[in-house]
Amino acid sequence: MTNIQYDLWQPVIGLEVHIQLNTKTKLFSSAPNRFGDEPNTNITDVCTGQPGTLPVLNKEVLKKAVQLGLALKSSIAPFSRFDRKSYFYPDSPRNFQITQFDHPIISGGTILADVEGVTKAFAVNRAHIEDDAGMLKHFSTFAGVDYNRAGVPLIEVVSEACIHSSKEAVAYATALRAIMEYIDASDCNMEEGSLRFDANISVRLKTETTLRNKIEIKNMNSFHNMEMAIDSEIKRQIRLYSENPDADPKTIIQGGTYRFDLEKKETVLMRKKEAAEDYRYFPEPDLPPVFISASFIEEIKKDLPELPHERFKRYTEQLFLSPAAASTLINDRQMCLYFERAYATCPHAKNLCNWLIVEFTGRIKDSGRTLQAIGILPEHVASLVNMIEDGTITGKIAKCVADDMILSPGKDCRLIVKENPDYQPLQDTSSIEALIDQVLSENSQSVTDYKAGKTKAFAFLIGQVMKLCKGKASPIMVNEILTKKLQ
Amino acid sequence: MHKHSATEITTLFTKGEISAEEIAKNTLARIEHFDKDVGAFLAVHSERMLKKAANLDQKRKSGEKLGALAGVPVAIKDNIHINGTLTTCASKFLSNYKAVFDATVCSLLEEEGALLVGKTNLDEFAMGSSTENSAYQKTRNPWDLSCTPGGSSGGSAAAVSARFCPLSLGSDTGGSIRQPASFTGIVGFKPSYGRVSRYGLVAFASSLDQIGPFSTTVTDAALMMQVIGRGCDKDSTSIHAKAPDYVGSLSSSMKGLKIGIPWHFLEQLNEEVKQNFLASVEICKKLGAEIIDVDLDILSHSIAVYYVLATAEASTNLARFDGVRYGVRSPKATNLEQVYDLSRHDGFGPEVKNRILLGTYVLSSGYKDAYYKKAQQVRTLIIEKFKTAFTGCNLVMMPTSPFPAFTLGEIQDPLQMYLQDIFTIAANLIGAPAISIPSGFSNKNMPLGVQLIGPYMHDKEVLSAAFAFEKACGFGSKIPQAFDKEISV
Repeated sequence: MTNIQYDLWQPVIGLEVHIQLNTKTKLFSSAPNRFGDEPNTNITDVCTGQPGTLPVLNKEVLKKAVQLGLALKSSIAPFSRFDRKSYFYPDSPRNFQITQFDHPIISGGTILADVEGVTKAFAVNRAHIEDDAGMLKHFSTFAGVDYNRAGVPLIEVVSEACIHSSKEAVAYATALRAIMEYIDASDCNMEEGSLRFDANISVRLKTETTLRNKIEIKNMNSFHNMEMAIDSEIKRQIRLYSENPDADPKTIIQGGTYRFDLEKKETVLMRKKEAAEDYRYFPEPDLPPVFISASFIEEIKKDLPELPHERFKRYTEQLFLSPAAASTLINDRQMCLYFERAYATCPHAKNLCNWLIVEFTGRIKDSGRTLQAIGILPEHVASLVNMIEDGTITGKIAKCVADDMILSPGKDCRLIVKENPDYQPLQDTSSIEALIDQVLSENSQSVTDYKAGKTKAFAFLIGQVMKLCKGKASPIMVNEILTKKLQ
Repeated sequence: MHKHSATEITTLFTKGEISAEEIAKNTLARIEHFDKDVGAFLAVHSERMLKKAANLDQKRKSGEKLGALAGVPVAIKDNIHINGTLTTCASKFLSNYKAVFDATVCSLLEEEGALLVGKTNLDEFAMGSSTENSAYQKTRNPWDLSCTPGGSSGGSAAAVSARFCPLSLGSDTGGSIRQPASFTGIVGFKPSYGRVSRYGLVAFASSLDQIGPFSTTVTDAALMMQVIGRGCDKDSTSIHAKAPDYVGSLSSSMKGLKIGIPWHFLEQLNEEVKQNFLASVEICKKLGAEIIDVDLDILSHSIAVYYVLATAEASTNLARFDGVRYGVRSPKATNLEQVYDLSRHDGFGPEVKNRILLGTYVLSSGYKDAYYKKAQQVRTLIIEKFKTAFTGCNLVMMPTSPFPAFTLGEIQDPLQMYLQDIFTIAANLIGAPAISIPSGFSNKNMPLGVQLIGPYMHDKEVLSAAFAFEKACGFGSKIPQAFDKEISV
């Protein structure tokens, strides 16, 4: 067995991301663009490719494409065009897909993504509009086709081969998803297939400048799967090259399309490159070219919302959130909206963020629901953090209050605090002094230890006081008084 | 009644001098009597037509507004949908296919009170120039039953020529309205690309296809255009400009018109056709037109360009006929590959297969640049050449077809058949309006036609000049003798 030196190699990855747009109707027909309905109910004659039907472009799609182009700082083509891509498959109602081949609507651009605390810029090659296929369903003795998805608008975003690890790939994909969510162009629901990833992967020695053969992994439908799939493929390629150091690299890895087998946790060959189809692209004669005017772009630019990387900058530079906390918030758009609403009445961003992404998230994680869904108002979370910050309650009490908020969603936390005598903080110095005196007399050994220089004993004594007061005394006050008393 | 034009029929009906029921019954009687010899119709919608006629009579009795084509029987080429009825495209593959919606043209016709008679024969999927490629039947030329009516809209042409009905719809991708019109002695008009909605026309070559009328007079063609020449939201290539008043702008003079003739390109013309064409030119001169010479030698490339582009588009347009969703699925198929292979093998005729193969080939990687792209470039050149020509003239005039109607079975070589389109293809390649008008007869008493081509969007001008020609020429409205008799209902 060869000792494989993985760190001599550099993975080179390009991602193709298919994103379903959340338009009301499909790309070329008036059928509703909706997931999860009874098979073949969201269809018109256009969706099933009836002879005599013609495509009519949904203008809403152009708007969303331009929004994406602006978000990526891409060049938006004043002239773009649709092409026919021919292949036979039952889920393709016309046996050709309408896509954009050599005149895509979006070229170039950048996706800024946070990779383990460092912001990296990834180059986008292009993005184009195309229509989705239907779905094949296999039954015991036959297969059926559901055309509800046929004609759903897709934007395919193609990166440059500028991604060098699975972590980077996930960061890129996460950032792209956030952009699509923030411009409200897609639901980005991976379980429903509104976000799908294909990765082109090769590896080369770090000393090499040219690319080796790549393979493609199709349809990874979660970030976790994508990370596993890419990692396993990188390892596979490096292992094969390392085990065959004398062979021509071209014979070791040959182009092909793979899928990731979730059980085996490895990539499995679907078809070799030689079998690749000739798609016979040519301009779609049923659709005129698409002209995008500068004024149309300006109009959309005016209404462009704050984008994820802009928000990241604001959170880290103005609200002083940690990059990790900022990313966590931003990559969960619902949570982030929630944070923004709470932040409107609670200026303590850092603490607020912590309560949202750590405390509350931890409490409701198992329920699989969001704060919004449970019915806890962002204003109440804001109140809770405000009460901590102004000393109305201690952090310890706040945790109990949070538990109660989850039990009675919608109830104002100020009322929860007011109604429960246990949640009234101990604020008068004499009561706290009495408690401390009691603890000191019951723990004389610790007092001796402390005076002998064992600092741990101090923490122990504080703990005893907090226990005795059931966490209601302010730790700061206890600290102050105890220090004084021990002097 | 068979002598009446559409304009006359709708006037008679509107005035109450004849009922829609009488018109419908007369039409059906003529078809019943004659069509076994002609074979124009693949389906006659008798019941549907009589019902619509009864409605129409009711409407007139109750004083409701009647449309521009009220009471006029119109036959429809069988590649255009009438909801709920078969659209076979004269292909075995679609022998069981019932249209699930109305073509925009059919809705417009019925809104204006037209009586849709039924579906007419064609070359399978409109691919051919003699209607012999129909999977169902031969259609014969009413002027000589041993001859072809031309194609691909041969059924629609024969139906009007034999006076089964005064109007019909055809589709013209490379001459499929104009050539059969000239073969059968009637008027055939291919409008500017986008004038008439293609929604509901089963596509052959999307960038070239255009629906248009067959009629016995230019006025009737103009009347039909008034009804069907409208913008359509379901066809992205549709022209949304306001439709001109075609009928109102017909003029019997050609004064001030400059007509360009590509004399050099026409040098090789068949003698009979040449003499007729020269006589037609003289008529135009007498009408006040100035004749000028235009250089359109590039037309010699038009057939090559056409058969690359049209087949490329057709190969993808016909890909949907796979036996999965509709049409005839081969009963021999036991897996998906066989559903595709056998259904298409059994369902398509040889000419359709030829063209799918050719179209697939010219788009294949490695050949696309040499064929498809080159053809697109030449198409652009042809457009430029015509633009230049039209800077010096208002219309271009050519014969419609290089020969009069030929005998059924006479042309076996597909390439020879493709040559039929030599004068007509250009109008499709440049999207221009073009009309064929009767211009006389051959020695064997077969009709000849002359073609006028106008610049894109100048449909009105083309119809107007054709109207003047028709009046002066006097060969219009001739009825083949065998069919020039009343059939009693």
